[in-house]
Amino acid sequence: MRHLEQEIQSLRQDVIDMWKLVISQVANAGEAVLSFDKELAQKVSMREKKVDAYELKIDSECENIIALHQPVAIDLRFVLAVLKINSNLERIADFAYGIARTFITNPSVILDAELITDTKLNVMIQQVNTMLSQGLDAFENEKSDFASAIFSEDYQVDEININAARIIADYIQKNPDRAYDCLQLIASIRKLERIGDHCSNIAEEIFFYIDAKVLKHAPRK
Amino acid sequence: MTSDIRHKKMLTIDAKNVDFYYSEFHALKNINIEVEKNKVVALIGPSGCGKSTFLRLLNRMNDLIDGTRMTGSVLIEGKDIYAPNIHVDELRKEVGMVFQKPNPFPKSIFENVAYGLRVNGIKDKTFIEERVIESIKSAALWNEVKDKLNKSAFALSGGQQQRLCIARALAISPKVLLMDEPASALDPISTSKIEELIYELKKDYTIMIVTHNMQQASRVSDKTAYFYLGEMIEYDDTIKIFTNPTELSTQNYITGRFG
Repeated sequence: MRHLEQEIQSLRQDVIDMWKLVISQVANAGEAVLSFDKELAQKVSMREKKVDAYELKIDSECENIIALHQPVAIDLRFVLAVLKINSNLERIADFAYGIARTFITNPSVILDAELITDTKLNVMIQQVNTMLSQGLDAFENEKSDFASAIFSEDYQVDEININAARIIADYIQKNPDRAYDCLQLIASIRKLERIGDHCSNIAEEIFFYIDAKVLKHAPRK
Repeated sequence: MTSDIRHKKMLTIDAKNVDFYYSEFHALKNINIEVEKNKVVALIGPSGCGKSTFLRLLNRMNDLIDGTRMTGSVLIEGKDIYAPNIHVDELRKEVGMVFQKPNPFPKSIFENVAYGLRVNGIKDKTFIEERVIESIKSAALWNEVKDKLNKSAFALSGGQQQRLCIARALAISPKVLLMDEPASALDPISTSKIEELIYELKKDYTIMIVTHNMQQASRVSDKTAYFYLGEMIEYDDTIKIFTNPTELSTQNYITGRFG
């Protein structure tokens, strides 16, 4: 295997490892919220530094590959895409950390089970996890098709976010003493919505890397 | 004490306070460079900066030029190669060289590689044959020539001839391989093969390469030395040189702003 290919292979493996870690961070943060599991939230909080370390390592690997090997064509697109996927993954992990922290720093917050169902928080958590996994599948197998569903799923996540505002506003009117808890809930929903956006950005980068197509800012159905 | 430190770092090349003159011209000024075993070092810098002169000091090729003078010391695996008891022929068994233009002998492919062994008095046919095959394989040329070892070396392409010259240098099991712009006369595919070969060869050899192609230096070397007007301006890890060199002059050269 050529020297550059070895470097790219090792970079690819680091991205895959980071991706799996981020998937488990998001899954655990979601699970912690749904099951009020503070221990699990602590676990997410403690593993955040590991994600940051991956981000720095991958950035440095990209810099070295560009400086030392002058990649071109698909190799260049790969490195450029990885740089952006890397920062998107790190942001996603930050949101997972933020969600987990909400329930660590506000131990008195209790979410109404009915409200969770009505806002579709559980569906949202499930959805972003699926999007993250689809992205990883597409990246690992170099099949951009695997990432194409992510765009429409992001719309569904956006929809849940928009509807949640109305549902939560109504709930606060009926239960004003729960306003604080509801603000925490809406903050987490916003974070999940942003995770969906970052998954969509990642999907764009996968299309750029594999198919050399620029989907960024392109109108979609 | 010093030798203990050297031993720990496994220095293959250790040049200290080297000055070199072509008559009155001061071509190298106080060069100090340490190279660890199994590393590739690239020498870069504009034409006339002294990098080839320095490379040729390492196997005493400059001895052949009248009016030259050197001060300082060059140790190869701890031995001062300019000491009076050192025979140049013996030194060149330890330090092989590959030149800019492939220079095979007007002999068969096999005999080109066997040449160094024969002039060193080796007569054991089996040993020679094994060594020749091994060297051609190490030079990543075997698959292309295995069926025509008795054909003339001139029948090979330029890139193949250069790899043959590398095989010839490897046959006598040197410790150090010097390469003076080994790919500058080759097309991009042959160049890429030579670069990949260098990457493989460093597992067994310590390599110093002079190149005008900075991208080549960045791709193949572990350490890079930047020479300018006979001085070694900067010598550091290649990653450091190509991402954040210490000296502005190095940065200006590698970014193409100067030179």
